[in-house]
Amino acid sequence: MAEQTFIHRSLFLVGFILVTILIIIGRLYYLQIYEGQHFRSLAEGNRIALQPNLSLRGEVFDRNGVALAQNKSTFRITLMKEKGTDINQALENLEPYIYISAEEKENILKRSRKRQGLEPLTIKDHLTWEEVSLVEMNLEDLPGLSIEVGHMRTYPKDELVAHLLGYVSAPSEKEQEADPVLTIPGIAVGKVGIEKQLDKDLRGIPGHKQLEVNAGRRIVRELSDFPARSGKPLTLTIDLRLQEYAVERLAEHESGSAIVMDVNNGEVLAFVSHPSFDPNLFVDGISHHNWRELMDNVYVPLTNKAVSGTYPPASTLKVLSVLGALESGIVNEDTTFFCPGYMYIGSHKFHCWRKHGHGAVNARKAIVESCDVYFYEVAKKMGYESLKQVYEEFGLASKQLWQYPHERSGLVSSEALKRKKTGHKWTVTDTILSIIGQGYMLATPIQLAVVAARLGSGKMIEPQLIRTKENPTFPSMNVDPHALQVVRDAMSAAVNSPQGTAFRFRLKEGAFAGKTGTSQVRRITMEERARNLARGTHLDWKYREHGLFIGYYPAENPKYAISIVLEHAGGGSKAAMAARDIITKIQELEKEDAGETETH
Amino acid sequence: MLEKLRHINPYPLAVIFLISSVGFVLLFSAGGSSLMPWALKQFIRFVVGMAILLAVANIDIRFYFRVAYIFYVVTFLLLILVELMGFVGMGAQRWIDLYIIQIQPSELMKVALVLALARYFHELDSAKVSRLKNLILPVLMMALPALLVIRQPDLGTALVLLTVGACLLFLAGLSLWYFIAAGVGAVSSIPILWNFLHEYQKQRVLIFFDPGRDPLGTGYHITQSKIAMGSGGFFGRGYGQGTQAALNFLPEKQTDFIFTMFCEEYGFVGAIGLISLYVVLIMYGVRVAMLASSTFSRLVAWGITFSFFIYMFVNMSMVIGLLPVVGVPLPLVSYGGTAMLTLLMGFGLLFCVDLHRNVKLPQKVIGLF
Repeated sequence: MAEQTFIHRSLFLVGFILVTILIIIGRLYYLQIYEGQHFRSLAEGNRIALQPNLSLRGEVFDRNGVALAQNKSTFRITLMKEKGTDINQALENLEPYIYISAEEKENILKRSRKRQGLEPLTIKDHLTWEEVSLVEMNLEDLPGLSIEVGHMRTYPKDELVAHLLGYVSAPSEKEQEADPVLTIPGIAVGKVGIEKQLDKDLRGIPGHKQLEVNAGRRIVRELSDFPARSGKPLTLTIDLRLQEYAVERLAEHESGSAIVMDVNNGEVLAFVSHPSFDPNLFVDGISHHNWRELMDNVYVPLTNKAVSGTYPPASTLKVLSVLGALESGIVNEDTTFFCPGYMYIGSHKFHCWRKHGHGAVNARKAIVESCDVYFYEVAKKMGYESLKQVYEEFGLASKQLWQYPHERSGLVSSEALKRKKTGHKWTVTDTILSIIGQGYMLATPIQLAVVAARLGSGKMIEPQLIRTKENPTFPSMNVDPHALQVVRDAMSAAVNSPQGTAFRFRLKEGAFAGKTGTSQVRRITMEERARNLARGTHLDWKYREHGLFIGYYPAENPKYAISIVLEHAGGGSKAAMAARDIITKIQELEKEDAGETETH
Repeated sequence: MLEKLRHINPYPLAVIFLISSVGFVLLFSAGGSSLMPWALKQFIRFVVGMAILLAVANIDIRFYFRVAYIFYVVTFLLLILVELMGFVGMGAQRWIDLYIIQIQPSELMKVALVLALARYFHELDSAKVSRLKNLILPVLMMALPALLVIRQPDLGTALVLLTVGACLLFLAGLSLWYFIAAGVGAVSSIPILWNFLHEYQKQRVLIFFDPGRDPLGTGYHITQSKIAMGSGGFFGRGYGQGTQAALNFLPEKQTDFIFTMFCEEYGFVGAIGLISLYVVLIMYGVRVAMLASSTFSRLVAWGITFSFFIYMFVNMSMVIGLLPVVGVPLPLVSYGGTAMLTLLMGFGLLFCVDLHRNVKLPQKVIGLF
C-alpha cells in the first residue's frame, strides 16, 4: 500500500479522534459547569421526599369548658405504593377480611393514578375495632398494607351549636389552589362558622419530615423533622346550658333565630338558628341522601339565620326612630300627636295597626303601644338623614362579626338606595315606611341583638364569639342621655305596663324591657284589613308575618341583651313570649351559679 | 524466553493500570466501600488480563499473522454456537459457558476481525485494494459476524465491528468513493434497517431524540444519567458522595453508566483527567502503528487502537446523551469479565507490534499457516 496514503489517512483519523473528544468535553462542560447547578437541584429533588405530618386541630369549648368540637382517632388501611406494587393484588388479598364494594375499588384505583409522592394510599377509612384487629392479625398475608391512625373532627353536641361552630370537611380544589397546605392528604378545612372564620388558628401548622429515599422510593434515612404544631384550642363565649334551652324553646316554632348577648362586654351567650343540622354528617363527606334531605327542607336548616337571615325590623326599629326624633329636637318627650287609626298623606291612606286609633300619643306611648300614626306625623315633620345616622350608629347595615362566614350586612333605606332600586326620588312615603322598619330596611338577628345591647348599655357594644383573657371594653355611644332614658323607660313599660304590647309576657319576678315587631311579608289587602285578618293567621306559613323582639334584662342596669326572630310566626307577641322564657332560664342559671359560689 | 518483555514500553502499561485503577475505586465506591461484589473480582480479572497481555506481547508477530484467519474462523464458529445453544444472560444471548469461564465470542470477534482484515490487506497488492472483487471478502468478514451479533441482540458490538472494519478499509487505502457511496447507502437504508431493530432498540433511539417521551421508562436512564453527571459540577461531590449513584437512581452504574458515576463523584476536573489518560493511550497506539514497518502490523495496531477509541467514544457519548443507549462498556473501567480480558489481550497485540516493529512479514503465505 502506498506509504503516503497511510500516513495521510492516519493523520486524518487522529484529527477525527481529537475532534470527537473535544465534542465530548464540550458536552461535559455544558452538563457539569453550565447546567451544573440545575442538575444538582434536580438530584436533590430526586433523593429528598417530604412526608407531611398533619397537625391536630384545636378543640373548641363553651365558656364553661364543655367540649363542642374534638378530634377522635380513626383507623384506616393504607397501601405503601412502591415500584411494582399491584393495587389490584392488594385489594384481592384484603377481600377475605374487609368488604370493599366495586364502586369503592374504582375510586381507590382512580385516586392511586392521581397520586404522587410518598403518601400511602388510603384503602379504607373509619375501620371498626373488629376490622382493625382482623387486619392486624393477618398483616403477614397482606404485603404493603398497614393500619394507620388518623384523626377526625367530631362534634359531640351534634346540632346544638352547628351554625355557630360550622364544620370541617375535605378541601375543595379551589381551596387547594388558594392554599397549597390544603393539598396534604387527609387534611380538613373549616367550611362554615367558627371553623372557617378561625380556620388558620384551629388548623395549626402541619409538620413534615425530610426523608432521603432511593430510586425505589424506599426510605434510606430521615434528614430532618419539623414536628406539626397543634391548632389553638378555642373557648367560645357561648353558655351551652342557655344555648341548649334556647334551641329547645325555638323548636316550638318552625323556623327562626335567637341571640343572647352580654350587654356589657358583647359576649354572645346563645346563638341559635332553627332548625339545625348535624355537623358530623359533613366531616367525612355527606351522603347524597342526607344532602338532599337538608336541601329540600323548606325551613333551610343549612342557612345560618342568625347572621344571614335578613328581616324588615318593623316596629322594633321604632325605638331608634323615637330616639332619633328626640335627639333632632323636632319633637320632645311631651309632644303629642292624635291617632285616629289612620292618616292621609296626599291621597294615600296610611293605617295604624290599631284600627280605632290610640288617641293622643307622645313619644313614650308611641313605643309602649307601638302607634304607627305618631311616626307618620314625625316623618312629615323631619328629614330622614338624621334618622338614618341613628340606625347606622346602632349597627344596622354593617357586619357585626369579624370575617364571620356568610354574615350579611342588611339594609338601611336611603335616597341613593331607592334611586338605585327604582330610579325614583325619595318622598315622604319612603320616610314613613322606613321609620316604622318597613321599606328598604333589612336587619339580621345579630344586628338586632347589637341594637338591644347598645340601647341597654349606652355603649358601642360589638358582639364577641371567642372568650379572651382581657374583658373587652367599649366606648360610650354618642347619644343624648336624656333621650335614651325616655326610650328605655318606654321599652320597660312596653313589657311591664298594662298598656304595653308585651305586657302579657312580663316576668313573674324581675323585669325586662323590650320592643316587639311584626314584619309584613306581603302587602295587606284592603279586603283582609276590612275582615280584620291583618295578622295573617289564615295564610299559608310562608306568607305569614315574621315575629320579632329585641330587649334586655334586667330593665334597670341591664346585663343581657336578646333578639328573637320567628319566621312567619304570625306576630311579635310570639317572639316576646320566647324571649320571656329564655330570660326565665337566664334567671334560673344565675341562681344556679350563685348557689354554686355560695357552697364553694 | 521473556527476553523481549524487557524492551516493553512501561509508560502505556502504567496508563493502563491507572485507568483500570479508576475502575477499581469506582467499583469499590459503588459496592458501598466494599471489595464485594465488584472491585475485587475486577482486580483479579485485571491481574489475569495483564498476564494475558504480557503473554500475547511476548509471542512473535509472525505467529499472529499466520493464525489470523484460523482465529477468525474459530471465533466465527463460536458466535454461531452462541446463536444455537447460548443461554440468555441479561436478556440477550451473548455467553458461552465453559464451566470455568464464560466466553463472549462477540468480544473475541473484535480482535479476530482486526487480525483477519490486517492479514487480508497485507497480502493484497495495494494498487488493487479498490477493485470491487477484492472487497467482497473483507466486507463479508465484517458483515457476517455483525449480523450474528445484532441477532443476539447486541447493537453496540455490531457497530464497533463495522466501524473498526471501516477504519481498516480506510487505512488500507480504499477509494474514498466507496465511503461516500456507503454513507449514502447507509442513510437511505435507515428506514429499512429500522424495521429490523427490536422494539426496545427502537425505543432507545426514539427516546434519544426525545428523552421526555418516557421519563420513567427507557428515558429514565439517560435523564438520571444527565442529572448525576451535572450534579457533579466542577470538582465533583467526592468519593462515595454521589447521591444519584449511591441511591440507585443511576441504573447499571457499575457497567455501562460507570462514567456517569465517575463524573458525579469527581466532576469536570476528574472527567478531563480520565479522558486525558485515554488520549495518551490512543496516541501511543497511533505511534505504534506509524512506526511499524509492515502493513499487517500497522493495521493491527490501528485496529486495536481505534476499537478502544470507539468503545470510549460510544460509551461516553451515550451517557452524556449524545448517542442513543446501545450498551457499550467504558474500556478498562466498566465491570465486566470478557471486555476486560479482550481489551488487555488487544493491548497485548499492540505491545507485540511495538516490540516487533522491525520484523518483516512475507507478502504471501502458502496455506493457512
